[in-house]
Amino acid sequence: MTESGEGAAGTTAASIRLERKHPLAIRWMHWVNFPVLFTMIWSGILIYWNDSDNAYQHAHRVYRVGVGGWTLFRFFPDWFYKLLQVPYHVTTGLSYHFFFAWLFGLNGLAWVLYTWLSGEWRLIVPQRRSLRDAIQVTLVDLHLRKGLPPQTKYNGAQRIAYTSCALMGAMMLLTGFAIYKPTQLHWLTTLLGGYEMARWLHFWTTMAFLGFFGVHVVQVILAGWNNFRAMVSGYEVQRVEAPSVEAERKSWS
Amino acid sequence: MSDEQQHEPSGHTNDLPEAPSATERVADLAGEQAAKPVAESASEAGEAPAVHGGKARPADPTDADDVLTRSMPEEAPGGVERNEADAEVLAASRSRTRRAFVGFGLGIAGAYGLRRYLQGAPFDEMIPGLLHKTYGFNADVSRAVFREHGMAPSYPVSKAENLRVNGVFGLKKMLQPDSYRLQMVGVQGASRHPRYVPDVTAWRYQYEAAASHEDQGHDSKTDPSKVMSSTKMAPEEMLAKTQQDENGTGRGPRGLEEAGESDSTLSRNTPGLLLTLDDFLPKLPKHDAVYQFKCIEGWSQFVHWGGVRMADFLEMFPPEPIDGKDPKYVYLETPDGDYYVGYDLKVLRHPQTLLVTEMNGEPLTQFHGAPLRLYTPLKYGYKQIKRIGLIAYTNDKPDDYWTRLGYDWYAGL
Repeated sequence: MTESGEGAAGTTAASIRLERKHPLAIRWMHWVNFPVLFTMIWSGILIYWNDSDNAYQHAHRVYRVGVGGWTLFRFFPDWFYKLLQVPYHVTTGLSYHFFFAWLFGLNGLAWVLYTWLSGEWRLIVPQRRSLRDAIQVTLVDLHLRKGLPPQTKYNGAQRIAYTSCALMGAMMLLTGFAIYKPTQLHWLTTLLGGYEMARWLHFWTTMAFLGFFGVHVVQVILAGWNNFRAMVSGYEVQRVEAPSVEAERKSWS
Repeated sequence: MSDEQQHEPSGHTNDLPEAPSATERVADLAGEQAAKPVAESASEAGEAPAVHGGKARPADPTDADDVLTRSMPEEAPGGVERNEADAEVLAASRSRTRRAFVGFGLGIAGAYGLRRYLQGAPFDEMIPGLLHKTYGFNADVSRAVFREHGMAPSYPVSKAENLRVNGVFGLKKMLQPDSYRLQMVGVQGASRHPRYVPDVTAWRYQYEAAASHEDQGHDSKTDPSKVMSSTKMAPEEMLAKTQQDENGTGRGPRGLEEAGESDSTLSRNTPGLLLTLDDFLPKLPKHDAVYQFKCIEGWSQFVHWGGVRMADFLEMFPPEPIDGKDPKYVYLETPDGDYYVGYDLKVLRHPQTLLVTEMNGEPLTQFHGAPLRLYTPLKYGYKQIKRIGLIAYTNDKPDDYWTRLGYDWYAGL
């Protein structure tokens, strides 16, 4: 980007510059995902509440964490449902779910197409060193190590996390379709281990998403305003000597 | 969101909006307060910037321990001071930020607007109109893409389970088997058929109050001993209308359950056929298969169904063409009119759609829809009507019990 202070002799060169970090399309898709995913998960809970397992027990609490006969936790406790006013709203859940699923799917598809065609995927897809970097980055985050590996836009941990997000999104769509059309798309349902397995995967992928959100929000808070703002305005204030994402983009063509 | 500016900030202040006064300055980067708003002339002239005397480096935005981007060296180069050029960069950043956040705010307002619209929009069949339209749109997409051609997997008989009784609408009185007739409306050449009657609605089904139901002890959502007491009756005014509709017909009020009376209920003097089971069952090939029954509530069970193909039955009693074409829909109802479903004719002609007489190798029990019920793997459980009293061809989209309460009419799997 700009190396300001050019021309006028005697002017001190800037020590910082504006880095074009996130293209407009990426920012749109990122923020559209926020209300859409929120609505999908909320309406999903309304639908899930209706369920019970096949012997008609564990009403509203089909899935659990446990081993064999021993159960640690069942999703979800009554107070949780009460708090969110979940009970008896299944038709609300279903109607919202099958409207917003379109937005979720189209937004995801647009993101895949954009990152693919623009070359931005190069900044997101894990590289050979990403796993090693990710471990290192995690240790630094936990204050167990010092010294971060070099990176441009995203470090190894981020590459793995964001790529996983895209894969989880695809998983949500696939398992969703397998549940939605188990007769017309029986091959897909069978591929995913059958109807009940597809539902189980749909639920646990949602849980994985929620896990990601938790970590994501904490990391964004830790990273601070400059980083957060870049996801809105697209630009981040950088030191001039920091590696440039824009330069990397130009090197692709 | 802001407009994407492809050109780079020129670094000239005349491209920047006037620096805001300290009071109206939007809180920007932490530490940016170190940057004084630049007087417009200063940068133009290229004067040496005023040197800040302080030894302490002003807080730098990039000093934040940047966990996510980590593009910062551990130690900033010593003695870097805010100079004019930096101030310009920050001013450019601020104006960008302002624009972007206005766009961001508009986006949030738009999302909130959609939410308000959905909650306040006129409701259709108990859900917001736009979402109701989406049900229909999704159904149209399904019809166009799949054309009801999918074949559900079938399973070995060893997998079959005892199906849960999940609802008893239209089954609460024990039907006397010898009083059972199947009403058929819209059949081609019906008037020449030996079973033709000028008014199918005049048929009287006979019921008996059973001491107990044969489904005692089954996995059932409904306590068979309390089956006569409905938990949710239709609303008062609906019940009044029901009463009015049936006054003097001798049929008694119909549609007493929560969703009320069907809009597709036959009017009096509807001609058609009154069939006994013997009129068609012995003449049609037997079929049986295990399919996975799926309820909209989320549970599923493998059930072994036995009976005849609906397609064969409909061929035996083909529809009277309407405007030279097959009618689009079929309407089915329990004898008392309490439960009713609408179908695309095409779905009933699917080879896996069965008119069921047996479950798990046994004749159907009352609660599972004796003597005749429907099962199709193309639809959710709430479309699998039990104890069919009426099958009517129609070109008007038929009413549907659960659709009146906010569920999808199509319910396609």
